[in-house]
Formats: sequence, C-alpha cells, structure tokens
Amino acid sequence: MHGRVKLKSTAQQEEEKRKEREKKLKIYVAGRDAIFTKRLEGVLDDEALQLTQQLLSSNPDFATLWNYRREILLHLETVREEDDVQKMYEAELLFLESCLKVNPKSYGSWHHRGWVSARLPRPDWARELGLCDRCLSLDDRNCESEVHCWDYRRMVVKMSGVPVDQELQFTDRLIGSNFSNYSSWHYRSTLLPLLHPESPDPPSPCHQHSHSSPPPSPQTHSHRVCEEQLLKEYELVQNAFFTDPNDQSAWFYYRWLLGRAEREEMISCVFVSREEERVAVAFSRPVNASSSGLMLVLDGQPQRVEWRSVHPHFRHSPVWICALPPGTISDIINEHNLTVHWTEKHTHRDCALYTGRSESWCRDSATDQELFRSELSVEKTSVLQSELQSCNQLLELEPQNKWCLLTIVLLMRALDPLGYERETLSHFQTLKEVDSMRSAYYGDLCSKFMIENTILKMEYAEVRVFSLSDKNLTMLCHLDQLLLVTHINLSCNQLLRLPPQFAMLQCLEVLEADDNAIENLDGLYYLPKLQEVSLKNNQISKLSDLQLLTSCPKLTCLDLRGNPVTQIANIQSELTELLPSVTDLLI
Amino acid sequence: MGTQVKDVVIKSDAPSALLLDKHADYIAAYGSKKDDYEYTLSEYLRMSGIYWGLTVMDLMGQLTRMNQQEISDFIKSCQHDCGGISASIGHDPHVLYTLSAVQILSLYDNVNVLDVDKMVEYVRGLQQEDGSFAGDKWGEIDTRFSFCAVATLALLGRLDAINMDKAVEFVLSCMNFDGGFGCRPGSESHAGQIYCCTGFLSIAGQLHQVNADLLGWWLCERQLPSGGLNGRPEKLPDVCYSWWVLASLKIIGRIHWIDKSKLRSFILACQDEETGGFADRPGDMVDPFHTLFGVAGLSLLGEGQIKDVNPVLCMPEDVLERLGLHPDLLS
Repeated sequence: MHGRVKLKSTAQQEEEKRKEREKKLKIYVAGRDAIFTKRLEGVLDDEALQLTQQLLSSNPDFATLWNYRREILLHLETVREEDDVQKMYEAELLFLESCLKVNPKSYGSWHHRGWVSARLPRPDWARELGLCDRCLSLDDRNCESEVHCWDYRRMVVKMSGVPVDQELQFTDRLIGSNFSNYSSWHYRSTLLPLLHPESPDPPSPCHQHSHSSPPPSPQTHSHRVCEEQLLKEYELVQNAFFTDPNDQSAWFYYRWLLGRAEREEMISCVFVSREEERVAVAFSRPVNASSSGLMLVLDGQPQRVEWRSVHPHFRHSPVWICALPPGTISDIINEHNLTVHWTEKHTHRDCALYTGRSESWCRDSATDQELFRSELSVEKTSVLQSELQSCNQLLELEPQNKWCLLTIVLLMRALDPLGYERETLSHFQTLKEVDSMRSAYYGDLCSKFMIENTILKMEYAEVRVFSLSDKNLTMLCHLDQLLLVTHINLSCNQLLRLPPQFAMLQCLEVLEADDNAIENLDGLYYLPKLQEVSLKNNQISKLSDLQLLTSCPKLTCLDLRGNPVTQIANIQSELTELLPSVTDLLI
Repeated sequence: MGTQVKDVVIKSDAPSALLLDKHADYIAAYGSKKDDYEYTLSEYLRMSGIYWGLTVMDLMGQLTRMNQQEISDFIKSCQHDCGGISASIGHDPHVLYTLSAVQILSLYDNVNVLDVDKMVEYVRGLQQEDGSFAGDKWGEIDTRFSFCAVATLALLGRLDAINMDKAVEFVLSCMNFDGGFGCRPGSESHAGQIYCCTGFLSIAGQLHQVNADLLGWWLCERQLPSGGLNGRPEKLPDVCYSWWVLASLKIIGRIHWIDKSKLRSFILACQDEETGGFADRPGDMVDPFHTLFGVAGLSLLGEGQIKDVNPVLCMPEDVLERLGLHPDLLS
C-alpha cells in the first residue's frame, strides 16, 4: 500500500501481468481455502503448518494464520518432549527471520516472534538482541521496521534483565555513528531517569516492572534526571548538533533537556470578595472540583457550597468558583478565616479576610512557583551560558538554521526571560522569515513568552494591571495567572477572540482590547466586577456575539466603534434593549 | 557532513484541482474487484477497507452508490460467538475490525444487526490489569487498541463498560519526552499512535493532560518543504499523515500551526487523474486507504465540496450529530 510507484506499461505487458496475477490468485485462494477447511475441522497438524507457512511468507499480515499456527504449536507442545518443543520453536524463529527479511514491518510477525520467544523452554535472549542489532542495521529509516525493532528490543531487555547502563552505552554507540538517532535519543530519555534519578529513591529498575500498575512516565520531565547527569547530556547533545546542525533529533532532545520541572500540585491562589460573596480558587493544573474533594472551611465550619468552573465548557479547569451563603461574609466589620482543602492531594490554602477590607487573597507568585523559569544552580547557569555562547557562534555560521535560532530563544528564556526580551522578539521575527510554514507557531510561542514576561513585570511592580499592547499577540494563555487582575490592556494586537478561558479573570473591572481582529467574546462570561469594555476596531459582526455581555451585571461602558456590527440597522436601539445597564454606549 | 531533508518534489504537471467525481467512481468500482489478486490479499483487513470506502463516499455525498444490504449481511456474518468482529468471513475477531464494523453500521444507523451486548463484553474482556487493551485473545498490547476500544464503546453509548481511569493511566504512561505517544510505554512517538492517543483522551475527557504546545510543535514539524506531512522526523511525506497529524492538531487546537495551502497542494498532487483515488505520494499507486485520508484531510482543511469530518472518529460530523456524540477538542 505504501511506496508503490505507478509504472506505465504497454498493452502486452499489461496482459502478461494480468495472466501472472490470475495464476498467483488461484494458488493463493486454493491455499487459503485449504487452510480454512482444516481449521474448521479442528485439524492441528504439520500440513497445516506448512500451508500457513507458504501463505505467511508472502502475506505476513494475514493475522488469522498466525493465530492458527499458535493453536497448532500449543497443541504440539502438549504431545512433544521438551527438546522437540525447543527445536520446534527454534524452527519457528528461523521461519520468522525470513518473514521479517521480506517484510520487516509486519505487526503480526513481530508479535508472533515475541510470543515464540516467551514460550521457548530455553530462550536465547542474546540471539534476540543480536537480531535487533542486525535489523536496525538493515533499516535506512525509510521503513517502519525501525519502530518495531526497538519495541522488540525493549521487550527482550525486560525479559532478560539487560542492565540499564548497558543499554545506555548502546545508544551512545548509535548516536556516535549518527545512526537511528531519533530512536536512540528517545530511548535515552527513558533510560536516564532510571539510571540517574534525581531523588534518592529510584523508580523500579526497568527489568522489574510491577504488574499491577504501569511504570511512571519519567521521560516527560527531564528534571527527573539528577543534575550532574543532565549537565553531561548537554555536552553530548551539543556535540551532536555541532557535528550536524541539521540533525533534528538532537534539537528535539535538547529542548527536553531545557524543560522545567513538573509543577508541584497545589492551590496557587485563593480570592474572596465580600461584595459578590464568592470565593475563587486557582490550582496549579486543571482539576475537576467534584472528583477532587474540594472543601471550604469558614471560621472552622465546613461550608456546603457548589463549585462551578469558570465556564461551562470546562469540566476540568484551573479556576473554580463558589458562592457563600448570603450574609456569611458581607458585613465588613467581621474578620473571617477561610481554608480551601484539596483533599485528593492532601493540601490546603488559608486566606484571612480582615475587618474593613472588602476583599482578600493569598497567592504564590509566578516566580515562587518557578512557573516560567526554574531556579538554576550556579553550575547549571554557567553551563547554559556557555551553551548560549556556542549556539550563537553556530548561528553566525548558519544564520538560517531555525533549530539553532529556536534553541537560542529557549536558552535565553531559561537564563533571563526579561533581560533577553528584545533579542527574543528579534529572533522570532527571523524565525518567521526562515521557517515561514511555521510562522503561526512562532507567533503563538512568542505571544506566550510575552505574556509570561508581562506577568513577571506585573508581579515585580506589585500591581494588578496587565498591559501588553502592540506586541503581535496572536493568542492568550496563562489566563489562570490573571485571576487577580483588575485592568487589562490588549490593544493593537492580532487577537481573534477572547476565549472561554478569559472567564478566569474574575476580578476584571476594565478591559481594553481595541485594534485587534476579535469576533468572538466567549470569555466575557459572568465577570462580576467588569465595568468598562473597549473593543474599538475589531470584527464583531452580529448582535448575538454580544449576548454574553448580559451576564456581566456591573457593565456600564461599552465602546464598539469600528466594528461591522455597528452597521446593522437600528443597532443603537437593539443594544440598548439587550444591555439596559450600559449607560455609556459608543458605536 | 549534513543530513539531506528527505522529501518529494511535486512536478509542475501534478494535479491541482480536486477530482471528487473520479474518486467516487474509483471507490464505487473497487468493491467489484473480487477476482483481483491485490484485493484478495487484503482480505485480512476487509472490514477496515469497507469502512474506508464507505466513509469517503459519505464525505463526498455518494454513500447511496454502495450496497448497504450486502454490507450489512457481510458484517453480520463476521460476528463471532465471543462477540468480536473479524475482518472477513473465516478470519478471527479483533478489536480493529470490531471498531470498523461499528463505524460502518453507524453510517447506516443499523448497529442493531449485531449482538451489541456481546460485542461490549468482548471489548471489556480485552482490557488488561494495567488498563491497556489487547487486540484480541492473543494479547498484543498497543495504544491503537485503547483507541479502538473506547471509540467502539463511545459509538455504542457504552463507555461505562470499561475501567476508564485505568485505561487513561495506561495511555498517559505512553507519553514521551517530546509530548508524543507510542504503542506501549517506552515506545517512540509516531503520528499514528499520537492520533490514537489524542483521540482516546478526547473521548475520555482528559485532553487537558496533553502538553498541547509541545506536542503541537512536534506535529507541525512534520510538514516538509513539499507541503506534505511525514509521520516522524526524517521520513518521507505520506498523504495518510495528512490525516493522522492534521486530526491530532485539530484535536489539540493547533491546526493553524500547519501551512494549510501548502498541505492542500500536496494532497491534491497525490490524486491520480487517470484512475481516480489518492496514493501515498505523487506518482504512486492509489488505494482506498489513502483516498479516505486524502479526502478527510482536505475536509479538515475546510474544503467546501466535502462534508465536515470529525477529527476524533474520522466519520462525517452529521453521523455523530445524529448519535449525539461530541468528543472534546482543545481550543
């Protein structure tokens, strides 16, 4: 089905081919029918083995035939001596080797080989490992067989207890010879956390997986690897991409090495407001309040509350809200103590609401949480700085190398996101030029980094104003970090919408988003403090696009000038009817 | 030393217009090739072959040209006592063909020609202690089968039949350093597996567990200078990856990270103007598999003449609408 070139041929050639295929078809169908008949009759003999062998040699994807063979072999196991069974399965392995030579990508053949290996009275795992080595050397990465081969290798390693460091050395050899690189780096990412774990208690060794639960996936976070080894890896990868700056696999692996640690699971913010009599809670990751065991305790009394996510779209959300029973906290004379318990994760957060204060919050900053940048050891900082230097040197030799450019950006983010802001923006501009197919990706990634920087600046200034205008913003993210923001300015960007996640801005009072391309306001959903909205020169085109604004009870100012919707007949009166509390309407 | 970028070059005379009528004719005629060698050799996947053919016809609004009765009868005769469905008569049941059968019958709104309860039991019985799914009683484990299991049950409205938490745990254990997924824990990321796992997580309501930015980057890097998509780094482009990669990007909300017009040109270049149908790459032999994924890929890119396709189940959206199925997508 894959890789079969269409060749033109003469009428005579066509006729010859047709005759040949007709002949082949007859033989095949006869074989198949004979096999099916025998099977239906419950026959489990050598002739059936021979017949299936013939068909499987040219069609190893005919899975039912492998099944039949297994039935026959299992039966023969019961009537033969152990030595004969060993010989029988060894012959099967030989047969499989020839099948795999013809078609190295058949799931059926590989699975059957694994099944046979496990049933051999005296398995020879060293030979199986040798087969994998040979298979890999045949493959020129134009073939799916590589993936099967590595998976088979992992099974053999697990069954025979090959030590992890031996496998790690194997990947060293392959990478050194610039062969099967992506698979080798990938394998390394799974082996390193086992051999060099960051914590004193390593996860179970790779050849002793417990059967009741799947192994943890340490490979998703490079921080599961101890720092000493991690720093050695940087050197290894650097050698690879300096030898061949277009070897993608090394750059992908490098990005993993630069990744940050998994966030600690916790409640990152609790906000309480007397006026709305509600509590908003932000988590370090999206949760489902009903299955997480969320509990609110007010002045030592557990409260019966209903948690809702900020938008019905999300069953899992990083921000949840609940309303307190009326009158519980409304009197400004009273001091209150709130605790939110996340019982599933055995963690909680306290928040004190003082006399005379209408609202209160408790929050870990993005810096505290190492949200956008990890705390780096002196050693790691020095390594990354020299990496950055080397990459910059490489960039001078290869100014169009997008892998190098992107990696430089990632290094700068790791070292000093605010300090390198200007260079970062410049590099993203270059990236969009040299790799234009992915300019939308770079646009979004740059937007993400600018949002991160703005959050950091906002926190350093200790204000609740988020201002990011004229920065080619193509999307919004980290909105869960903006729970406390009162004023937001997103004007002069390239936003297409305010997504449902925007509803996490529960404290928002003023929204400025002029001069974008916004056509969708899904995120302006039940924002209790929102008073002023400016959306000049956007793409709001239907009255129904503004329907959601009716859910914002405090909205009094709305500027829609320069939107297609203002051209609709009677728009003034339609809007006045839809939003009677908006006294300051500009169209 | 430098690695050459493996890619194809699209000739200037490659097809650039969408030839839907030719494709419909190709598929309509394909089923009648019962005396064809290639056709017979592919009997082991016949149920999936029928699903590919019918789905692409429905997407092109041509489903009525296929023989519903014949197909229903065929499917009925492929259900085994254990409840599972085989690819063809005389072949053994497998979860792959159980899904294809349910997909086909869903197109016809006729699932009840089968013993649904038995089929659900068959799928339930394939789940292992660690949450994974075997393909059949012979025990091959693969995240493809996790997808087949939940997709089948979702179409039948019977997702409660399995241990979903454990199933999710297993799929997540197959997540790799690059944000992608492989067939088993420790397996390398591959676009086909990524499609199955993101599709699985969508049905399971657990898409928030995906690192969408990291995976989206890996996926958009599948696009080669020719505009076509490959399945993993340093491989040739193939029209079927226009589905596996594109649908995955759609599911995780990052389809705009692909250059759509270049991909569209590549897909169109894979058409065969003479015979109809799509091949894996320009100039190669066509087959129904690549024809479905070429057309489905174009649908995801917004092709007006093709019905909307659902990125999770690779079925027409209107069929899922009828079933009330709206799997999650990230925005």
